[in-house]
Amino acid sequence: MAILEAHAVSKVYETRGVATRALDRVDLTLEEGEFTVLHGPSGCGKTTLLNLLGALDDPSEGRVTLDGRDLAECSAAERSELRLHKLGFVFQAYNLIPVFTARENVEFVMELQGVPSAERKARTDAILAEVGLAELAEKRPLEMSGGQQQRVAVARAIVGRPELVLADEPTANLDSATAGQLLDLMEELNREHGVTFLFSTHDPLVIGKARRRVRLRDGRVESDGPGA
Amino acid sequence: MGLELRLAWRNVWRNARRTWLTVAATVFAVVLVVFFVAMAAGIHEKMIEDSVRVASGHVTLAGEGYFANRTLEQFVTLDAGLQHTLDAAPGVRGWAPRLVGFGLVSKETDAQGVAVLGVDPAREASVTTLARRVERGVFVSEDAPKGIVLGERLARNLGAELGDELLLYSEAYSLETAYDLFTVVGVMKLPEPSLDRSLALVTLADAQAFFVYGERVSEVALLADDADAADQVAAGLRGALPGAEAVEVQTWAELMPELVQFIILDDAGMYVLLVILVIVVAFGILNTILMSVLERTRELGVLLALGLRPGAVFRLVYLESLLLAGLGLAIGLATSIPLVLWFQAHPVELSNELAGAMELIGAEPVITWKLKPWNPLGSVLTILGVAALAALYPAVKASRGRPVDALRSL
Repeated sequence: MAILEAHAVSKVYETRGVATRALDRVDLTLEEGEFTVLHGPSGCGKTTLLNLLGALDDPSEGRVTLDGRDLAECSAAERSELRLHKLGFVFQAYNLIPVFTARENVEFVMELQGVPSAERKARTDAILAEVGLAELAEKRPLEMSGGQQQRVAVARAIVGRPELVLADEPTANLDSATAGQLLDLMEELNREHGVTFLFSTHDPLVIGKARRRVRLRDGRVESDGPGA
Repeated sequence: MGLELRLAWRNVWRNARRTWLTVAATVFAVVLVVFFVAMAAGIHEKMIEDSVRVASGHVTLAGEGYFANRTLEQFVTLDAGLQHTLDAAPGVRGWAPRLVGFGLVSKETDAQGVAVLGVDPAREASVTTLARRVERGVFVSEDAPKGIVLGERLARNLGAELGDELLLYSEAYSLETAYDLFTVVGVMKLPEPSLDRSLALVTLADAQAFFVYGERVSEVALLADDADAADQVAAGLRGALPGAEAVEVQTWAELMPELVQFIILDDAGMYVLLVILVIVVAFGILNTILMSVLERTRELGVLLALGLRPGAVFRLVYLESLLLAGLGLAIGLATSIPLVLWFQAHPVELSNELAGAMELIGAEPVITWKLKPWNPLGSVLTILGVAALAALYPAVKASRGRPVDALRSL
């Protein structure tokens, strides 16, 4: 079943009157349970496509539908609701809330979703144990390593039970051992909990783990096929 | 505690030094505002009370046309009906009938123009402080007829001492020439120099006999609970007075417009300075919140990306501003209110040139403070209003940020 669909999506940026076409009529459909990677050289449009699929930006042409809803027809508040309930995000620079502890960062999305306190606590304890950070629950981001922060970010991305997690270069700031552990974790979450992942990356390690690989070049889909 | 409030509170303390500097500026402003507004209120109240308790009372009742002409032709008959009305009037703490006439007082070859105030000694004490202002001798008394009390400057100009006989000369209500000898029984010191140079007190009975005035009086001075209650008392009296007699009722503010003007001008000068101070605080809060928002563009974008609604981001920034202002207000009020209350209980007596300046405007050389409820309440509303205004631009800017910036800025 398709969770997300992009139909002939294009994105044109204009800077001082100069138009740059970052994406050119891209079609992409993501099915439930996929573990997909978007890869390609720098500037090929990976992050731009991820932003459009994540309801963070608007396409210049074409349309994106999430769970059958056309994002162009949604207000800012409706998009917030869609992101809150349907999507999870993992960013390259972790982007945890620095004034919150690991536990509070993980609980944040659930608080927005209105999950009751007792359930929030139980789910947070469980997810932090699953990502191996139960001992660091009360630490703030600056008291943790990059790998630990990214694990918290993954926990935050999936604890709200989204249909799709969008991860933009999630291993870019991690050493290879830590990146490997994180990928194993996400693969396990995908396999055992059915969480759908879409990565944007250069990292061969991530590309190697993906079961579907979409290669972009010059804003177009160059290839789309099975991975590992 | 709600998520937004918790996040706002933590954000406020993210840069503790900057927060404390903003809080310190707010505290400084609150203390100055509360202190100086209370000082102005105290000084003005003292000026009003000094004037009221020396002369007019909070409210004055007189015959029709008296306030415009101030001659013996305009009078009030203090009959039993009027006395009952005055006794029963709500908010009236005391009332005193007076006869006001003008004449010449002479001692040997020296003569001075005087305002002769005939007072009922017992009733006068319930309205004015004239009896307490006697520095030498005694106040006029029904037991010592033909006694006269002079202002200190008037006595000095006449060269009059206690026990001296003075000739009072005027024109009676009957248009006959009125003259009689009075004995100086007291000398009083009045704060207003012009009054001190011209006021002579005799008993009401002596004045009525001297001016051939019968049972008539020129005016009745009334004391209300405070100056602010004067309008209410005056309105009540106007409604309650018997219609048979044409009388006029005026408040201290109507009788002393120059004092009201002085207070308005004095307040205006002070408020201009305080407004400048509050604007400085507003820019301090604006700077802190705006810097805080600009530094967190990516973070606010991430919050939006995670599903926080734009309205919630707006509220978050607003809360941060109000928390900053609230903290400054809490510390400022906790500092300024005890400080003002202490000064309210311990007025500062002035000396030398400052004392002279105060006396020139008819006030005692004492600085007093008066903490009125609207003072701290006004400070709270002003600072919160300023904080709300200062936060508007940063809050709009933050809530209109696009979540894509969070990813683009990676």
